[in-house]
Amino acid sequence: MKKKRIFLILILLFAVGGFLAYNYVYQDHRDIKSETSQLEISAPYLLERFKTNNGDDLLNKTITVTGTISSMEEGAITLNESVYAQFLEPDLELKEADNVVLKGRCIGYDELFEIVKLDQCTLIK
Amino acid sequence: MKTNTLLSIILFAYAVTAIGQEKYITKTGELTFEASVPSFEEVRAKNTNVSAVLEAETGNFAVLALMKGFRFKVALMEEHFNENYIESSQYPKTTFKGTIKDFDFSRLSEKSEYTILGTITLHGVEQQVEIPATISIADGTLLLAAQFVLRPEQFNIKIPSIVSKKIAEDVNVAAVFKLQKQK
Repeated sequence: MKKKRIFLILILLFAVGGFLAYNYVYQDHRDIKSETSQLEISAPYLLERFKTNNGDDLLNKTITVTGTISSMEEGAITLNESVYAQFLEPDLELKEADNVVLKGRCIGYDELFEIVKLDQCTLIK
Repeated sequence: MKTNTLLSIILFAYAVTAIGQEKYITKTGELTFEASVPSFEEVRAKNTNVSAVLEAETGNFAVLALMKGFRFKVALMEEHFNENYIESSQYPKTTFKGTIKDFDFSRLSEKSEYTILGTITLHGVEQQVEIPATISIADGTLLLAAQFVLRPEQFNIKIPSIVSKKIAEDVNVAAVFKLQKQK
Protein backbone atom coordinates (compact mmCIF):
# COMPACT_ATOMS: atom_id res chain seq x y z
CA MET A 1 0.00 0.00 0.00
CA LYS A 2 2.73 2.39 1.07
CA LYS A 3 4.85 1.36 -1.90
CA LYS A 4 2.03 2.16 -4.26
CA ARG A 5 1.68 5.66 -2.83
CA ILE A 6 5.38 6.41 -3.22
CA PHE A 7 5.20 5.13 -6.77
CA LEU A 8 2.26 7.42 -7.54
CA ILE A 9 4.01 10.43 -6.03
CA LEU A 10 7.11 9.69 -8.09
CA ILE A 11 5.07 9.51 -11.27
CA LEU A 12 3.38 12.80 -10.41
CA LEU A 13 6.71 14.52 -9.73
CA PHE A 14 8.07 13.18 -12.98
CA ALA A 15 5.08 14.48 -14.91
CA VAL A 16 5.28 17.93 -13.31
CA GLY A 17 9.03 18.07 -13.86
CA GLY A 18 8.65 17.08 -17.48
CA PHE A 19 5.93 19.66 -18.00
CA LEU A 20 8.05 22.44 -16.47
CA ALA A 21 11.12 21.42 -18.47
CA TYR A 22 9.11 21.33 -21.69
CA ASN A 23 7.68 24.77 -21.00
CA TYR A 24 11.14 26.13 -20.30
CA VAL A 25 12.71 24.73 -23.44
CA TYR A 26 9.79 25.59 -25.71
CA GLN A 27 8.84 28.92 -24.16
CA ASP A 28 7.15 31.43 -26.45
CA HIS A 29 8.97 34.10 -28.39
CA ARG A 30 8.67 37.66 -27.16
CA ASP A 31 5.52 39.31 -28.41
CA ILE A 32 6.76 42.75 -29.36
CA LYS A 33 3.27 43.74 -30.50
CA SER A 34 1.84 43.43 -26.99
CA GLU A 35 4.90 44.65 -25.07
CA THR A 36 4.83 48.14 -23.63
CA SER A 37 7.23 50.47 -25.32
CA GLN A 38 10.20 51.61 -23.23
CA LEU A 39 10.83 54.84 -25.07
CA GLU A 40 9.19 57.12 -27.58
CA ILE A 41 11.61 58.88 -29.90
CA SER A 42 11.72 60.58 -33.30
CA ALA A 43 13.59 58.77 -36.09
CA PRO A 44 16.42 61.34 -36.57
CA TYR A 45 17.01 61.55 -32.85
CA LEU A 46 17.20 57.77 -32.53
CA LEU A 47 19.88 57.73 -35.25
CA GLU A 48 21.73 60.51 -33.45
CA ARG A 49 21.83 58.42 -30.27
CA PHE A 50 23.50 55.53 -32.08
CA LYS A 51 25.90 57.80 -33.97
CA THR A 52 27.11 59.30 -30.71
CA ASN A 53 27.52 55.81 -29.21
CA ASN A 54 24.63 56.32 -26.89
CA GLY A 55 22.28 53.67 -28.19
CA ASP A 56 23.57 50.36 -26.88
CA ASP A 57 21.13 50.38 -23.99
CA LEU A 58 18.30 50.38 -26.53
CA LEU A 59 19.38 47.11 -28.17
CA ASN A 60 16.69 44.44 -28.04
CA LYS A 61 14.26 46.93 -26.42
CA THR A 62 10.77 47.63 -27.63
CA ILE A 63 10.55 51.27 -28.65
CA THR A 64 8.12 53.62 -30.36
CA VAL A 65 9.45 55.68 -33.26
CA THR A 66 7.84 58.63 -35.02
CA GLY A 67 8.80 59.92 -38.42
CA THR A 68 8.07 60.47 -42.10
CA ILE A 69 8.44 57.66 -44.62
CA SER A 70 11.40 58.43 -46.89
CA SER A 71 11.46 55.12 -48.79
CA MET A 72 9.62 51.83 -49.05
CA GLU A 73 11.18 48.37 -49.25
CA GLU A 74 9.87 44.84 -49.34
CA GLY A 75 7.82 44.58 -46.13
CA ALA A 76 9.69 47.46 -44.58
CA ILE A 77 9.93 51.24 -44.56
CA THR A 78 12.61 53.81 -43.86
CA LEU A 79 11.77 56.85 -41.75
CA ASN A 80 13.55 60.16 -42.39
CA GLU A 81 16.43 58.23 -44.00
CA SER A 82 17.48 57.32 -40.48
CA VAL A 83 15.41 54.39 -39.20
CA TYR A 84 14.60 51.18 -41.07
CA ALA A 85 11.58 49.27 -39.79
CA GLN A 86 10.54 45.79 -40.84
CA PHE A 87 6.90 44.95 -40.22
CA LEU A 88 5.39 41.80 -38.79
CA GLU A 89 2.70 41.82 -41.47
CA PRO A 90 4.09 43.13 -44.73
CA ASP A 91 0.99 44.23 -46.62
CA LEU A 92 0.61 47.81 -45.52
CA GLU A 93 -1.24 50.63 -47.13
CA LEU A 94 1.51 53.13 -46.65
CA LYS A 95 3.19 55.45 -49.08
CA GLU A 96 6.16 57.77 -49.13
CA ALA A 97 5.85 61.04 -47.19
CA ASP A 98 3.27 59.55 -44.77
CA ASN A 99 3.74 60.47 -41.14
CA VAL A 100 3.73 57.37 -38.98
CA VAL A 101 4.14 56.14 -35.42
CA LEU A 102 5.35 52.57 -35.04
CA LYS A 103 6.47 50.17 -32.38
CA GLY A 104 9.21 47.58 -32.82
CA ARG A 105 12.32 45.93 -31.49
CA CYS A 106 15.59 47.79 -31.94
CA ILE A 107 18.21 45.40 -33.37
CA GLY A 108 21.07 47.83 -33.87
CA TYR A 109 22.94 50.37 -35.96
CA ASP A 110 23.82 49.65 -39.57
CA GLU A 111 27.01 51.49 -40.56
CA LEU A 112 26.70 50.68 -44.26
CA PHE A 113 23.60 52.81 -44.67
CA GLU A 114 23.93 54.79 -41.45
CA ILE A 115 20.51 53.74 -40.24
CA VAL A 116 19.09 52.18 -37.11
CA LYS A 117 17.19 48.94 -37.73
CA LEU A 118 14.00 47.73 -36.09
CA ASP A 119 12.20 44.44 -36.63
CA GLN A 120 8.78 42.97 -35.71
CA CYS A 121 7.19 46.39 -36.08
CA THR A 122 3.51 47.23 -35.85
CA LEU A 123 1.92 50.45 -36.95
CA ILE A 124 0.38 52.53 -34.19
CA LYS A 125 -0.71 55.48 -36.30
CA MET B 1 37.24 79.89 -73.60
CA LYS B 2 38.95 79.35 -70.30
CA THR B 3 35.69 79.02 -68.50
CA ASN B 4 34.49 76.57 -71.12
CA THR B 5 37.49 74.29 -70.59
CA LEU B 6 37.08 74.56 -66.85
CA LEU B 7 33.40 73.79 -67.10
CA SER B 8 33.99 70.75 -69.29
CA ILE B 9 36.64 69.47 -66.87
CA ILE B 10 34.22 69.84 -63.99
CA LEU B 11 31.45 68.18 -65.95
CA PHE B 12 33.76 65.34 -66.98
CA ALA B 13 34.96 64.83 -63.43
CA TYR B 14 31.39 64.82 -62.24
CA ALA B 15 30.38 62.25 -64.86
CA VAL B 16 33.30 59.98 -63.97
CA THR B 17 32.51 60.03 -60.27
CA ALA B 18 28.85 59.41 -61.06
CA ILE B 19 29.73 56.24 -62.99
CA GLY B 20 32.23 55.13 -60.38
CA GLN B 21 29.67 55.49 -57.66
CA GLU B 22 26.94 53.49 -59.30
CA LYS B 23 25.84 51.19 -56.51
CA TYR B 24 23.45 48.32 -56.17
CA ILE B 25 22.00 48.07 -52.70
CA THR B 26 19.57 46.21 -50.48
CA LYS B 27 18.47 46.51 -46.87
CA THR B 28 16.34 43.38 -46.97
CA GLY B 29 18.95 40.75 -47.80
CA GLU B 30 18.51 37.23 -46.42
CA LEU B 31 21.10 35.33 -44.45
CA THR B 32 20.31 31.85 -43.18
CA PHE B 33 22.52 29.48 -41.24
CA GLU B 34 21.98 25.92 -40.21
CA ALA B 35 23.96 23.76 -37.82
CA SER B 36 21.46 20.97 -37.36
CA VAL B 37 22.43 17.46 -36.39
CA PRO B 38 20.12 14.64 -37.52
CA SER B 39 17.60 13.46 -34.89
CA PHE B 40 18.19 16.53 -32.70
CA GLU B 41 16.31 19.83 -32.59
CA GLU B 42 16.76 21.93 -35.71
CA VAL B 43 19.44 24.61 -35.25
CA ARG B 44 18.59 27.15 -37.89
CA ALA B 45 18.15 30.89 -37.98
CA LYS B 46 17.27 33.48 -40.55
CA ASN B 47 17.89 37.20 -40.81
CA THR B 48 15.85 39.08 -43.42
CA ASN B 49 17.20 42.54 -42.62
CA VAL B 50 20.72 42.22 -43.98
CA SER B 51 22.28 45.21 -45.74
CA ALA B 52 24.51 44.85 -48.77
CA VAL B 53 26.20 47.25 -51.21
CA LEU B 54 27.79 46.33 -54.52
CA GLU B 55 29.82 48.85 -56.51
CA ALA B 56 29.10 48.14 -60.17
CA GLU B 57 32.37 49.58 -61.43
CA THR B 58 34.83 47.88 -59.11
CA GLY B 59 33.00 44.77 -57.91
CA ASN B 60 33.54 45.82 -54.32
CA PHE B 61 30.96 44.14 -52.14
CA ALA B 62 30.04 44.84 -48.51
CA VAL B 63 27.53 43.13 -46.22
CA LEU B 64 26.35 43.97 -42.73
CA ALA B 65 24.06 41.80 -40.60
CA LEU B 66 22.86 42.69 -37.12
CA MET B 67 23.15 39.61 -34.93
CA LYS B 68 19.98 40.37 -32.99
CA GLY B 69 18.10 40.13 -36.27
CA PHE B 70 18.59 36.35 -36.49
CA ARG B 71 15.35 34.57 -35.67
CA PHE B 72 15.14 30.96 -34.50
CA LYS B 73 12.11 28.71 -34.27
CA VAL B 74 12.82 27.99 -30.60
CA ALA B 75 12.91 31.15 -28.46
CA LEU B 76 15.32 29.67 -25.91
CA MET B 77 17.76 28.79 -28.69
CA GLU B 78 17.63 32.40 -29.88
CA GLU B 79 18.37 33.55 -26.34
CA HIS B 80 21.34 31.20 -25.98
CA PHE B 81 22.65 32.21 -29.41
CA ASN B 82 22.59 35.88 -28.44
CA GLU B 83 23.77 35.60 -24.85
CA ASN B 84 26.17 32.67 -24.76
CA TYR B 85 27.55 31.96 -28.21
CA ILE B 86 27.56 35.03 -30.43
CA GLU B 87 27.41 37.50 -27.50
CA SER B 88 25.40 39.96 -29.54
CA SER B 89 25.44 42.74 -26.94
CA GLN B 90 29.22 42.88 -27.11
CA TYR B 91 29.46 42.11 -30.85
CA PRO B 92 26.19 43.42 -32.31
CA LYS B 93 27.07 42.97 -35.97
CA THR B 94 28.86 40.77 -38.45
CA THR B 95 30.34 42.26 -41.59
CA PHE B 96 31.83 41.15 -44.86
CA LYS B 97 34.06 43.36 -46.98
CA GLY B 98 35.57 42.15 -50.19
CA THR B 99 35.76 42.14 -53.95
CA ILE B 100 34.13 39.99 -56.58
CA LYS B 101 36.92 38.46 -58.66
CA ASP B 102 36.85 39.29 -62.40
CA PHE B 103 33.64 41.24 -62.04
CA ASP B 104 32.51 43.01 -65.16
CA PHE B 105 29.09 44.55 -64.91
CA SER B 106 28.57 44.69 -68.67
CA ARG B 107 29.16 40.94 -69.00
CA LEU B 108 26.77 39.83 -66.25
CA SER B 109 24.43 38.21 -68.75
CA GLU B 110 27.22 35.92 -70.05
CA LYS B 111 28.82 34.83 -66.83
CA SER B 112 27.12 33.91 -63.59
CA GLU B 113 29.66 32.01 -61.48
CA TYR B 114 31.94 34.22 -59.43
CA THR B 115 34.30 34.06 -56.49
CA ILE B 116 34.15 36.71 -53.81
CA LEU B 117 37.34 37.33 -51.87
CA GLY B 118 37.24 39.19 -48.61
CA THR B 119 37.11 39.31 -44.85
CA ILE B 120 34.32 38.23 -42.54
CA THR B 121 34.25 39.87 -39.13
CA LEU B 122 32.19 37.88 -36.66
CA HIS B 123 32.31 37.76 -32.87
CA GLY B 124 35.19 40.25 -33.03
CA VAL B 125 37.37 37.89 -35.12
CA GLU B 126 38.46 38.57 -38.70
CA GLN B 127 38.77 35.72 -41.17
CA GLN B 128 39.86 35.75 -44.80
CA VAL B 129 37.38 33.87 -46.94
CA GLU B 130 36.79 32.84 -50.51
CA ILE B 131 33.11 32.46 -51.28
CA PRO B 132 31.64 31.04 -54.50
CA ALA B 133 28.59 32.98 -55.63
CA THR B 134 26.17 33.18 -58.51
CA ILE B 135 25.23 36.60 -59.81
CA SER B 136 22.56 37.36 -62.37
CA ILE B 137 20.61 40.38 -63.48
CA ALA B 138 16.95 40.60 -64.41
CA ASP B 139 14.79 43.72 -64.82
CA GLY B 140 17.43 45.90 -63.21
CA THR B 141 17.60 43.71 -60.10
CA LEU B 142 20.92 42.08 -59.41
CA LEU B 143 20.51 38.71 -57.74
CA LEU B 144 23.47 37.49 -55.74
CA ALA B 145 23.32 34.08 -54.06
CA ALA B 146 26.04 32.30 -52.14
CA GLN B 147 26.47 29.21 -49.99
CA PHE B 148 29.43 28.45 -47.82
CA VAL B 149 30.54 26.78 -44.62
CA LEU B 150 31.88 28.42 -41.48
CA ARG B 151 33.05 26.79 -38.28
CA PRO B 152 32.33 28.33 -34.85
CA GLU B 153 35.91 27.67 -33.70
CA GLN B 154 37.23 29.89 -36.53
CA PHE B 155 35.57 32.81 -34.80
CA ASN B 156 36.43 31.86 -31.25
CA ILE B 157 32.84 30.82 -30.51
CA LYS B 158 32.89 28.15 -27.85
CA ILE B 159 30.17 25.52 -27.81
CA PRO B 160 29.90 23.86 -24.39
CA SER B 161 30.52 20.11 -24.56
CA ILE B 162 27.07 19.41 -23.11
CA VAL B 163 25.37 20.70 -26.28
CA SER B 164 28.19 20.14 -28.77
CA LYS B 165 26.56 16.92 -30.00
CA LYS B 166 23.44 18.83 -30.95
CA ILE B 167 25.22 21.54 -32.91
CA ALA B 168 27.07 20.68 -36.11
CA GLU B 169 30.74 21.64 -36.37
CA ASP B 170 30.20 22.85 -39.90
CA VAL B 171 27.66 25.63 -40.09
CA ASN B 172 26.04 25.99 -43.50
CA VAL B 173 25.44 29.59 -44.43
CA ALA B 174 23.25 30.73 -47.30
CA ALA B 175 22.91 34.32 -48.51
CA VAL B 176 20.46 35.80 -50.99
CA PHE B 177 20.61 39.47 -51.97
CA LYS B 178 18.27 41.21 -54.39
CA LEU B 179 20.22 44.36 -55.11
CA GLN B 180 18.59 47.39 -56.64
CA LYS B 181 20.26 50.39 -58.20
CA GLN B 182 20.65 53.16 -55.68
CA LYS B 183 18.48 56.14 -56.53
